[in-house]
Amino acid sequence: MKRVTNDANAGPDRSAARQRSLAARLIFVAAVWSTIALALAGVVLVSRYERARERDFDTQLEVHIKALIAEMLDTSAGASAATVEATVTEPNYRGDPRFSLPLSGWYWTVRRADNPSILYASQSLVGDPLNTPPIGQDEANAGFIIGPTGDEVRVLQQRISIGGTDYVIAVGAATAGFWAEIHEFARLVALTLIIVGLGLTLAIFLQVRIGLRPLARLRASLSAVRQGEAERIDEALPREIAPLAVELNALIVSNKEIVERARTHVGNLAHGLKTPLSVISNEARAAGGPLAEKVSEQAAIMSTQVQHHLERARMAAQRRVIGVACETEPVLARLIRAMGKIYQDKGVSLTFRQDGAIRFRGESQDLEEMSGNLIDNACKWAASKVQVKVAMIEDPSTSRDMFLITVEDDGPGLTPEQRAEAVKRGRRLDETVPGTGLGLSIVADLAALYGGSFELDGAAIGGLKARLVLPALRKE
Amino acid sequence: MRILVVEDDTDLNRQLVTALEEAGYVVDSATDGEDGHFLGDTEPYDAVVLDLGLPTLDGLSILENWRRDGRTMPVLILTARDRWSDKVAGIDAGADDYVAKPFHMEEVLARVRALVRRAAGHASNELTCGSVRLDLRSGRVTVDGSAVKLTSHEYRLLSYLLHHQGKVISRTELTEHLYDQDFDRDSNTVEVFVGRLRKKIGADTIETIRGLGYRLGEARDE
Repeated sequence: MKRVTNDANAGPDRSAARQRSLAARLIFVAAVWSTIALALAGVVLVSRYERARERDFDTQLEVHIKALIAEMLDTSAGASAATVEATVTEPNYRGDPRFSLPLSGWYWTVRRADNPSILYASQSLVGDPLNTPPIGQDEANAGFIIGPTGDEVRVLQQRISIGGTDYVIAVGAATAGFWAEIHEFARLVALTLIIVGLGLTLAIFLQVRIGLRPLARLRASLSAVRQGEAERIDEALPREIAPLAVELNALIVSNKEIVERARTHVGNLAHGLKTPLSVISNEARAAGGPLAEKVSEQAAIMSTQVQHHLERARMAAQRRVIGVACETEPVLARLIRAMGKIYQDKGVSLTFRQDGAIRFRGESQDLEEMSGNLIDNACKWAASKVQVKVAMIEDPSTSRDMFLITVEDDGPGLTPEQRAEAVKRGRRLDETVPGTGLGLSIVADLAALYGGSFELDGAAIGGLKARLVLPALRKE
Repeated sequence: MRILVVEDDTDLNRQLVTALEEAGYVVDSATDGEDGHFLGDTEPYDAVVLDLGLPTLDGLSILENWRRDGRTMPVLILTARDRWSDKVAGIDAGADDYVAKPFHMEEVLARVRALVRRAAGHASNELTCGSVRLDLRSGRVTVDGSAVKLTSHEYRLLSYLLHHQGKVISRTELTEHLYDQDFDRDSNTVEVFVGRLRKKIGADTIETIRGLGYRLGEARDE
């Protein structure tokens, strides 16, 4: 049965989450938040304005009610307080000219509280009853009704008692202008807030960009370390991310230390094992006899095993060391010089050519190990000539920059079958030449570890041609 | 020919000394860095076999010190750290060759032989002077094609003179290069051996230069 794991499905989601921009996220959250805040501010502002305008409107209507009441009461000279209370006269109220204009939107009515029919009304009503809502037992109330022209009218009603009779006085005004004002205000507020919102978004964008700039610097610095252009990350960063740089630097240092320790350990182990092995095998060779032969044979096997495992340990130790690179020219020139000294008896002419500066993206010791093995091998077999060339590989199809080391000799060379055999671990095609037989396989293993390649071919000058491809540091 | 072996492992040191002595060399040895450095600094050796990992003073520092002080004897380094970076560091410090451990004694002998020969300016493993021929690999000596049996002292004397043929070699120099450091330098055994050697390879092969020493072969401009 086929099992589908969640992990497999979660993969793309996780990678999408990883790729989402931090800047976009900050801008998005800030934009959402400020939109909500601005919208709320708009709503509160408009509603507060509406309430204020309404109160203002009602105050106006209230003034008219009070003036109307004053008109209704007989206030002629000499009338006593008692008569005042007893008499209601028809008011001829014109506190606002609009009360006289027919259907102007401004109206007033006077009714008895117990009878809904109109006692007195403004001229503007032109006989319309103005359907005021029932006041009930309240002293006063306010509300919206539909006026004689079908428009909305705000009505304020007040109950008064004159001469033992309750009257309800209502004053109303069309709200058209009122709402128009509110709407105009709301539009203005909205427009202002939108402009403020856009300004804020721009400010947030700039803030995020400027705020995140140190992160970009950190990234560039880390990349420089990874490329081997810098030893450590620049720690001159804002307080919030400076600890990250410090931690990263500590990590780089500890990484290097671990590798260094492992190397030293491997070196010590090598020294510790190889010296007794030399003693055993030399003693056995000197002694002779079947036991000595057996010891000699086993010592040789042990020696190969030790070499093999030391190489493996060394390779494990040097994996993923970040931030290392080296110039190829000095490393190879040094090797050629040393080889010239080692093989001076043989009279091999060693030539070395490199076009332009090339940087190997890795440990100089590893470059030295790989090219050392190749040049040493070539010198061992060469009749008179060894040529070493280093050049960048011009291959636009690959995204990585690589360079090629070729080592050619004019020795006897190898057949294609022998070449395949030669790179296998511990294979020595000729036992008469000193060596462990690990040289070429170490080159192949190390090259693979660096994502490069190694192959053997026939050389134009007659012998073997070794081609070693390794990663180069990107040219900036 | 006088060789210095500096190796801290006593077994390996003994093996090297024995093998080199059997090959006809006079050998001094040291098992720590400071002793080795002192010997190389004060005694005239024809070659040094130097281990790099030594107590008290490491091989690389010894080598650098010698070279800085103008000691030019050929040095073969023995190293268990057989990465090229280690070997090249050794060569850069002034070593002439290296042998990686574990090694076969024959390899060390071959390298030492080549170093001594090269230092004296000879390209071949066969040294000849007139009818006298010495094969350094086998240690065989022939005069006019017929083998001559030599004692180890006679062999050393002939080998040294053949390596430096054409040059006047003083008695002191011969004593220094043919005997180890414990030998009584005042004795006149050199003269005795020269006399015996003359009898075996021909009386006129080794010329006595009065007051200066001995010379094998035609005088050479230095």
